Amino acid sequence: MIRYPYSLIFLVILFVGISLYQVKHFITKKEIELTQIENNIKIAQSDINILKAELSYLKRPDRIEKIAVNSLGLRQVLPTDIWNLKDLVDATVTLSNGDNK
Amino acid sequence: MKKFDFFDLDVRKQNQSKFRKIKLLICSLLLIMSFTIIGYRTISLASINKKNISNIAYKTIENKSFQKNLRGNIYDRNNKILATTINTLSLNVNPQEILNKHQTITKLIKIFPYLKEEDLFKKLNSNKKHINLLREISPREYVRLLNAGIEGLKIETIKKRIYPNNTLASHILGATDIDGKGIAGVEKKFDSQLQVGNDVTLSIHGGIQHITRTLLLNQIKKFEAEGGAGIIMNAKDGELFSIVSLPDYNANNYNSILNENLFNKATKGIYELGSTLKLITAAIAFESNLINENDVFDVSKPLKVSSRIINDFHPLDYAINIPEVIVHSSNIGSAKIAEKFGSSTQLKYLRSLGLLNRLSLEIPELGKPQVLTDKKVLSTMTISYGHGISITPMHLASATATIVNSGVKVNPTLIKGKVEKKDEVIISKETSIKMKSIMRLVVSNKNGTAKKAEASGYLIGGKTGTAEKINPSGGYSKKKNIVAFTGAFPMNDPQFIITIMIDNPKGQKFSFGYRTAGWVVAPIVKQLVTRVAPILGVKPQLESSPKFSNNLLDFKIRGKNDGANL
Repeated sequence: MIRYPYSLIFLVILFVGISLYQVKHFITKKEIELTQIENNIKIAQSDINILKAELSYLKRPDRIEKIAVNSLGLRQVLPTDIWNLKDLVDATVTLSNGDNK
Repeated sequence: MKKFDFFDLDVRKQNQSKFRKIKLLICSLLLIMSFTIIGYRTISLASINKKNISNIAYKTIENKSFQKNLRGNIYDRNNKILATTINTLSLNVNPQEILNKHQTITKLIKIFPYLKEEDLFKKLNSNKKHINLLREISPREYVRLLNAGIEGLKIETIKKRIYPNNTLASHILGATDIDGKGIAGVEKKFDSQLQVGNDVTLSIHGGIQHITRTLLLNQIKKFEAEGGAGIIMNAKDGELFSIVSLPDYNANNYNSILNENLFNKATKGIYELGSTLKLITAAIAFESNLINENDVFDVSKPLKVSSRIINDFHPLDYAINIPEVIVHSSNIGSAKIAEKFGSSTQLKYLRSLGLLNRLSLEIPELGKPQVLTDKKVLSTMTISYGHGISITPMHLASATATIVNSGVKVNPTLIKGKVEKKDEVIISKETSIKMKSIMRLVVSNKNGTAKKAEASGYLIGGKTGTAEKINPSGGYSKKKNIVAFTGAFPMNDPQFIITIMIDNPKGQKFSFGYRTAGWVVAPIVKQLVTRVAPILGVKPQLESSPKFSNNLLDFKIRGKNDGANL
């Protein structure tokens, strides 16, 4: 009568112990994975920062200006280059009425 | 009482069953104790505790952790990086671990030719266990170092603050020290926010900042000036699109820059900005209800007050009204207007326009105005045309914005989208319209002092100012000027404020020896507005169109010889 419950308790304790051990190792493994992923994210963020900084360096207004003027032959926008559509329509109507002003 | 003798065989034989029970009890107790200990240990080992020494793997990973939060980035209004932190590699060495020092030196010099052999020899023969050889090495050098396989070297990852645009907005961005702590500019003001990795988005527009800097720098060179400042600000919400202070510096080399270059002339430097202050005098005059636009002031003779004689740069031989005082920039007229409203009214408005206190801008480098507050008649008169009042160009921009923004106070800000719902009305709408009309005339009228600022279609308005520079030893210098312009565009609905100041320009052949604001600053205003207006979305208006109406008052301005034609 005494032997049966003792062995049962022993088995239960053994089972619970092993399970806990397994759970602990599973979670520790996951924690390590999580930390590694977080580190990878930080490294990626750092790399993105470097790329953004490089992009910002390449898009420096002084550099863009040089390229626009020297390589693309662009010039500054003058007030006469910008027209309101309405003014253009008015001008066209005036011209079509024979007024050359 | 019966006593058992445990070691007596006879007695044991007689009480065998009792002894068995005792043995069984002891064994059971031992067994229970053992299982309890084993059970407790199993549970304690199985539980997840980061501090548990047995979790070595976890600890290692934490230690290897690449980095904590990087310092936050600073962006311009178009989300372009102005300041960021990157990881760089530094080269350190433990001299005790190096066996062949000569060979190590040879290898290092091959990779880093700029290192000196004597220095390396000294460092490698040191008794220390950790010596920094190079604070920063490039990825290419790092690979070469790995290939060389030198013992005793240690590569560490360090954080470095970089400013990809070099000189752009360097005075605004500021700098960090070697530990990554903000020591100047936005870096200092928002240090706690940036330290925890939060970003800051400024109202600064990188492109407009560059254009302002380029044009200002060209003019400074042309007129051999000492420096200058340029500000472009939203006239309604005070968002600053550009703040330039020249000479400036490459923000990446903050620690090796001269103090002179670090000084922010736009927000920290205080200057007597001359006749630009007449705008404020005129606004106070209208607001005081003591004077209106039709009242005239005789400016035909120099004005003698105490020991001082007040003169005009462009003398007129007749009496002029307020719009003419501003357009002709008459010191005598301005002094007479101020005399009429008095020092208390003047100081009240200067205070409410924020010209007596430091601004609440988001950088630590802010100048405190110096104003003659003795309430003497002479002080009131000189302040009216910008003498005896030293303010920063930023103060002037802020006051100009308030005048053209229907009198509602505009507080400059460097933060994009900062909402400040505090409609503090300083001057009335009526006064604001009168002021806008006069400011436009200063640029558009043939007698205006800022004719060279006229950019067709953009309806620029403002006021020039030329003031003798204060000598460090006291008094005014006859040879050194501060020239300035403050204004807005388009004047029928001012969207942006533009304030320019140039320090000590020299007269040039092409300017016929002139070094006044009309010659030095006004041309930049024209160029600047022409270039930035399309970026800012301000469309040119066809003034020749019959449908065009500028919503401004039409004040008649007489010329030098039109005295009788009022």
